[in-house]
Formats: sequence, C-alpha cells, structure tokens
Amino acid sequence: MRSCSQTLPRTLRRIGLWMLTGGAAAMFIASCTPPENREMIVERPGDAGKLRLPMKDSLRISLTTEPPTLDWHKGSDTVSNQILCNIMEGLMQYDLSDPQLRLKPGLAAKIESRDSARIWVITLRDDVEWSDGVKLTPQHVIDGWKRLLSKETAADSSYFLYPIKNAREYNRGAKDWKDVGVTISGENQITVELTQSMSYFPFVLTHHSTFPIRLDLVEKFGNRWTDPQNIVTLGPYRLTVWQHDKLVVLSRNENYYGAKHGDKPQIQFIVARIIPEQSTELSLFAAAQLDSVHGLPSVELKRLRPTPEYREVPRLGTYYYGFNIHKAPMDRKLFRQAIARAVDRQQIIKLLGGGEAPITDWLPFGMIGYEADRGLSFNPELARELVRKAGYKKPEDVPKIEISFNTRDDHQRIAENVQAQLKTNLGIRVELKNEEWKVYLTSLKTDPAQIFRMGWQADYPDPHTFMSLLLSFSENNYPRWKNTAYDELVLKAASLIDMNERLKLYSEAKQILLEDEVPVLPLYSSVNQILVSGRVENYPLNAMEIFAYKGARLK
Amino acid sequence: MTKSFSLGPVLGWGLLLLAFAGIATDLSDNSIPTWYWLVLAAWTALSLVYAILRGQMLVFVTKRLFEAVLVLFVIVLSTFLMLRYLPGGPFDSEKALPPEIKANIEAKYGLNRPVALQFLSYMNGLAHGDLGESYKYIGRPISEIIAETLPVSFQLGLYSLLLAYVLGIPIGVISAAKHNTYIDNGLMIVAISGVALPSFIVGPVLVMIFSFGVPISFFHGWLPPALWESPVYYILPVITLGLRPAAIIARMTRASMLDVINADFVRTARAKGLNSNVVLYKHVLRNSLIPVLTISGPLIAGILSGSFIVEIVFGIPGMGKHLVQSVTNRDYPLILGMTLLFSAMLVLANLVVDVLYSVIDPRIRLDS
Repeated sequence: MRSCSQTLPRTLRRIGLWMLTGGAAAMFIASCTPPENREMIVERPGDAGKLRLPMKDSLRISLTTEPPTLDWHKGSDTVSNQILCNIMEGLMQYDLSDPQLRLKPGLAAKIESRDSARIWVITLRDDVEWSDGVKLTPQHVIDGWKRLLSKETAADSSYFLYPIKNAREYNRGAKDWKDVGVTISGENQITVELTQSMSYFPFVLTHHSTFPIRLDLVEKFGNRWTDPQNIVTLGPYRLTVWQHDKLVVLSRNENYYGAKHGDKPQIQFIVARIIPEQSTELSLFAAAQLDSVHGLPSVELKRLRPTPEYREVPRLGTYYYGFNIHKAPMDRKLFRQAIARAVDRQQIIKLLGGGEAPITDWLPFGMIGYEADRGLSFNPELARELVRKAGYKKPEDVPKIEISFNTRDDHQRIAENVQAQLKTNLGIRVELKNEEWKVYLTSLKTDPAQIFRMGWQADYPDPHTFMSLLLSFSENNYPRWKNTAYDELVLKAASLIDMNERLKLYSEAKQILLEDEVPVLPLYSSVNQILVSGRVENYPLNAMEIFAYKGARLK
Repeated sequence: MTKSFSLGPVLGWGLLLLAFAGIATDLSDNSIPTWYWLVLAAWTALSLVYAILRGQMLVFVTKRLFEAVLVLFVIVLSTFLMLRYLPGGPFDSEKALPPEIKANIEAKYGLNRPVALQFLSYMNGLAHGDLGESYKYIGRPISEIIAETLPVSFQLGLYSLLLAYVLGIPIGVISAAKHNTYIDNGLMIVAISGVALPSFIVGPVLVMIFSFGVPISFFHGWLPPALWESPVYYILPVITLGLRPAAIIARMTRASMLDVINADFVRTARAKGLNSNVVLYKHVLRNSLIPVLTISGPLIAGILSGSFIVEIVFGIPGMGKHLVQSVTNRDYPLILGMTLLFSAMLVLANLVVDVLYSVIDPRIRLDS
C-alpha cells in the first residue's frame, strides 16, 4: 500500500507546518517576557480582589512544606515558625544583630526576677496594638498560656511552660488553672511563679508557643481563625494570602509597634512559595524567581560554596551517635570510650564538605559553655588498648555491632565512614542498618541498635537545652543512661543564676558524660547553608534559624 | 428511542465541544466559571446514561457499581488496619514528647480507643461524607485539602493524557503505515526510550535545556523551570508526565494497526477500490483503537501515580505529594482520604472504559 504521508493533501501539510511554527513562535514570545519577573498578581482571599506584588518590593522565599498550622499554640515545626516569627512577636525577642543572640524586650517593656529567679515580673509595653487596633493587654498573654496548657488544646509544645508552678499538673488535668503560678499583678503587669529558680526563663518567652492570643477571634472563627481574612496578629508583617500548598504572602503591618522604636520593617511584601524539592528551589533561584534557598543538598555544596550567594552560619545543633548501653558490647564503659577514641571527626567533616565543626563536646560550637577540649579526642592506639582493657583480647571477640540510622543519603555516608574507621582503627566489623524515619523513631524507643545516629537542635541558646537531654528521666534519653551524679549537677546548674557557676557545674557534668561514662559520641555541630540573592541585604542569618525578615532590605 | 434520529453523535460531539471550550478557556488563562462544571457534569452523566441504556448495560453497570463499593470498603478497611500496625505514629518526632502531652494528643484524636472503635467512628464519618481532619496540617479538613489540590492534579493529568493521545496515536499510525522503514524504526526507538526514561530524569533534563539553555544556549529562558502559574508553566511538566503514556500509546496503536491491516475486511475494502487513506483512517484506525482504549484505564492510573514525581520536580501544588508525604508523616486521615479517592477514581475510570467499548465497537456486549 502507499503510505499516508505521500498522499496527504499538500495544503493540509502546509497548514500543519504553519501551525507548528506559529505555535513555537507564540510560545517563544509568551516565554520571553514572563511578567512574574517584574510583578506578580495574586488573588486575595474572599472577594478582596487582586494584590499586585512588584518584585522590587517583594522578598521571595521558599517553604519546604505547606505550613502545618499558623495557630502558634499548636504548631511545633520549623516551617510554621518561619511564618509565625514574622507575623507575631513574643514578650521577649532575640537581638538578631548580636551573634550571641542575647535577648531584647519584645512585647514586654521590661522583665525582672525576684527570689533568685523563681519569681518573674513582666511589664508589658503600653503601646502595642493588634492589627485590628485592639490594645494588647496582660489578659491576652494569660489567655494564650492557658490555651497552650489546657488539656483540650493538646499542644505538643506545652512543655515550654512546664517550669511555671503547677503548669505541668494543669496540662495533665490534675490541677485547676487558679493553682498555676501566673497572675495579673498590675495594669500592665504579669507575675510568674516558677517551681524553682530558672535564670534562663526569659528565653522561653521568645518561643511562639508563649505568644499572646485573641480568644474572642478563636471563639468566633474556630479552626478558621488563622485564615488570612480572620487572623489578627501584632508582628511586623500580616498574613495577607494563604493559598494552601502553594503560596503565602505577608505584607507589612503599618500598625507594628516596633516601627515607633526604630524597628520598622523595610520590605513591603514577603512571598513564600511552597517548594518541597531542594533541586527545584535551586532551579528557581538560578532563574531569579527566588531570593533565598535554605538547606542545600550536600551533593551540590561543592558547586555552590564558591558562589557569591553562598552563606554559612553555625547552628546550635549537634549530630551524635548514641550507644545502647544495655546491649553488649556497648554495656562496657571502656569499650564505649574505645569507640569514642577511634573515630576521627575530621574525616566526617571532609566527607560532608559544608563547613560543619567537628566536636567532642556535647554542646554545639557557638553555644555558651562550649569547650573545645572537652570529651575524648581521636587516638587509635589508646582506643585499641581500651578495647583490650574492656575484656576483648582480639577484635574478633567483640560481639556483632550494628550502626542504625534513618534512611538518608548523608546519614548513610557518615555511617559508612565510621564503619570503615572502626575497621581500620580497631579491626572491628560493624554492620549498617537503615530504617524509614518513623520506623526508626519507634525502634529507638523500643530496641535501639548498639550504635544509633541522632541529632538535637537547641530550643533556646542556653546549655540546659542540651544538658537536660540526658537526665535520667528525659524522654529523649535514647541511650537510657542513668547517672545520679550527672542528674544532680545538671539540675543544680539549672537553678543557679550566676552563669559562671552554672558553666562550672556543666563542665563537671560533661566530664562524667563524655570522658567517663560515654553514652553518646558527639560528631559535629551543624551549620546552616543558605543561598541569598545579591539584591537582599541583611538577610537574617543566625544560630537559632530564626528567619525574621523585619531587618532585611532589598536593593 | 427512534430509529431515524440517534442521540449518540449529538451527545458525543457535544461533550467534545464542551471539553474543548473548557480547555481553551483554561489555556487562555481565564478562570472557568462554576456553571461550566455543572453543565459538563450533567452532559457527561447524560452521555454515560445514554450509552449504558443504548448498549443495554444497565444490569452490568449496576453490578459493577455494587462491586466497586465493596472493593472500596475492603481498601479502606485494609489501609486502616495496616496503618495501625505500621511502626511509628503520627506524632512521633525528633523531640520525644512528655507522657502527659502524648496522652492529651491521643485523647484529642481518639487514638487511645480500641482500633475497632476508631474504625467504626471513621466509617461513621465517611457515611456522612466526612473524611476527617489532617493530623499534620492541624485542623485542616481532608475534603478541603482534596478540593484545593485535586483541580491542579486534574489539570496536569488531563493535559498529559491529551498530549499522550495527540502524540501517541499519530506516531503509531505513521509507524504502522510505514512499517519496517527507517521512519518506523526511528519512531519506535524514540517510543521505547519514552517508555524507559523515568520522569525524574526527563523533567530535569527538559528544565536544563529549555530553562537554562544547557547545552544549547539558544533555548535559554524559553520556559520557566518550575511552578504552576499560567499556561507557559504547564508545558514542561505536561511533556514530562505525558511522554511515557504517549510512547505506550504509540506502540499499542502501531501493533494493533498492524494486526488490523491484515484483516479480511481491510482487504475487502481495498478490493472495492477505496482510497488507501480512507481505508487507513476509517477502517483500520477505528478498529485498532480498542486495545488503546483498554490500556487507558491503567494509563490513567499511571498518570495519577506518576504525577507525584512531576509535581515534586516542578513544585506544582497538586495532590500527588500528599499521597506520598501523608505516609511518611503517618497522617492517618489524609492517607485514608487519598487512598480512597485514588481507588475510587481508578475503579470509575475502568468502568467508564468498559462502557466506552460498546460505543466504539457495537459488537462488544457487556450484559452477558
């Protein structure tokens, strides 16, 4: 038979050709001038019409997931916090221009401690207004705390206020609200009574779980109170658009109290796109559709580190290996010391290639109280001797050891490296085991492997947030290590006011933890790797990963 | 039904016209009015009912619908049970929670009750059309998540499917017509690569070429690398998702055309002296489409499940990522909602395909 294309009428073929070229040309013209590069137009919620977002006034950032909630008492994740720390503010706030992240007053004009830091008296500013014009009162603060701690809210960050007298009991349902140590003690004043002295209590007041709330709105709108048309906030920005799974737009709060105190936000709009995939963020950044990218994929670091957009900030977080001290051979203290001596952190740092700091201390680099020489450093000879002292004459005598981690490329590479190091330095054979994240968390609670990987991020920049992790009753004490001397030192330190005295006790506790008992092996202190476009000045970079944009500017 | 006037073509062409109008409106970046959806839904329902009655498939379809409900029930039940026995709960996180907070959360979501009771209360909600609220996206109803993300996935899937047919069928026809020539071989090599290449490679490669001009700088900045804002943004994701089904359809069309070309009735048609194009398009193609229709069910499934990767790669605010991320988050209500929705769509797609058989080929009877 004759083939079809030969017999296709000529005109038809010509039309097809024209359509093809025409289509291509139209596509070309359409794509040559993407209007998004100069201005973005976004539908506002309800019938509020359209919002024009000129690029010169908009900072375009990305979020790795849809914010799980903007109800600041219920959220406990970093993405929600990224929005919350721009639309709300705490009684206290971090001074982001200070590398030490010292506190400065936020909604509170001042905060004073009495009875050696057991009673705290907070005086609110009298010029703070919510975005609907209502004045902030102490009742709003108390309402927020009561809501956070109430059983019905079931907030997972309610533990932030547990230091308050009877707060934990109220959260459990064992005590009434009137027993909780919070009272309004003056026109603009709140008195807080803690269970025991706590010099770092003001840090707690920076966290979004302790923010004030407008109960009238929560009652009026129910779950929908966080919708852009309903929400009332008091931070430097207001929530203007929230297209779920796609986009969040914040616009400058012209009513922001900080503007009167030299803290006026510079950028008019913040456009946050929800982009789950890191490589997609990088493409959008390369196409100048994003102004920043947080958390870079480690395979790209080599290419990105030399670029002028690359920024690196130490983060108050550690990456560590925990030991299951109830499983042989990790039940022998000397053997744990041997493992700690046999791992060269420098190799891991080289492997990661992103500016992480090797640590032998339990506190991360940059935290007050960090000691570079605390803990057991790399010494393979000593390590081999410790193995012998632990009762294993030959490396073959050592029972089978497993390193477990949750499935992820970085963890895999680190575990393989440690596996190789233990083989070379001690002659011990180690097996690797990876599990999906939630499965992994379950095995950590039920039956952890001899060695397991874990990390910890600071809740606030105080050593207690790390030291308390290994208290014998802590839920996060995965090694299930119990040491009364350590407990006593850490609890004593927490109740002291003088920082130097506290640090002395912490140092002593860390000696027990890291040099004698060794239930954990700190590997490195993490960094935050960020790309920031050249048109942004003063992008917030800090060890607590607080992305508050009120100080940033656009060129 | 009168014999002189047949409603079928009117309904069929009307549906096509409606669909075309909808697509044109969407592609010209205008929002589609609500009444359009109502008209489309009514028209589709009418057409289906007509096809069912015309083909005397009422009993068959009713039976299949009952089966579908049963299938969905089994799916929900087994998903529900499997989730409860899957290690790791929705509220496990890096920071372990104090026992009282854990207890509060479990009480709030009823997770402290026996599994049977939890299942009953879920089914009770389902019977009232309530899919529950997400655990991860606190307080957000599952139905709302679906309502917000399904249209985007539907758009992506529809255009990819259209592309697959528009590209696949002609390629198959040309290949069959030029059987065993270099054109046929060339096209089939392309098609086989299309089947073999995963979208997480095709997507980034297309982005490299058409957004960043690597290696041909001429293409630099032609198309946006990601997002879902206007029709320009649709091009790369749709190609990425549609390529594989297009290749499958091309191969299927070719194979079945080659089968039909050798059939007796084709020889008869040619012997009658009909133009070879008429034979090819009217007799051969129409009869070759049955296998293509058969794989449409699984193809739709492929597009649905494949959309996850494309949505992630291109940052598209669709439903695909929830299907996967809900599992990693152990967001029970969201997993159940997604599973239920996807299974229902699959079951329905297959049923519609079965009904369409008898429309395309009246020889096929489904009532027996």
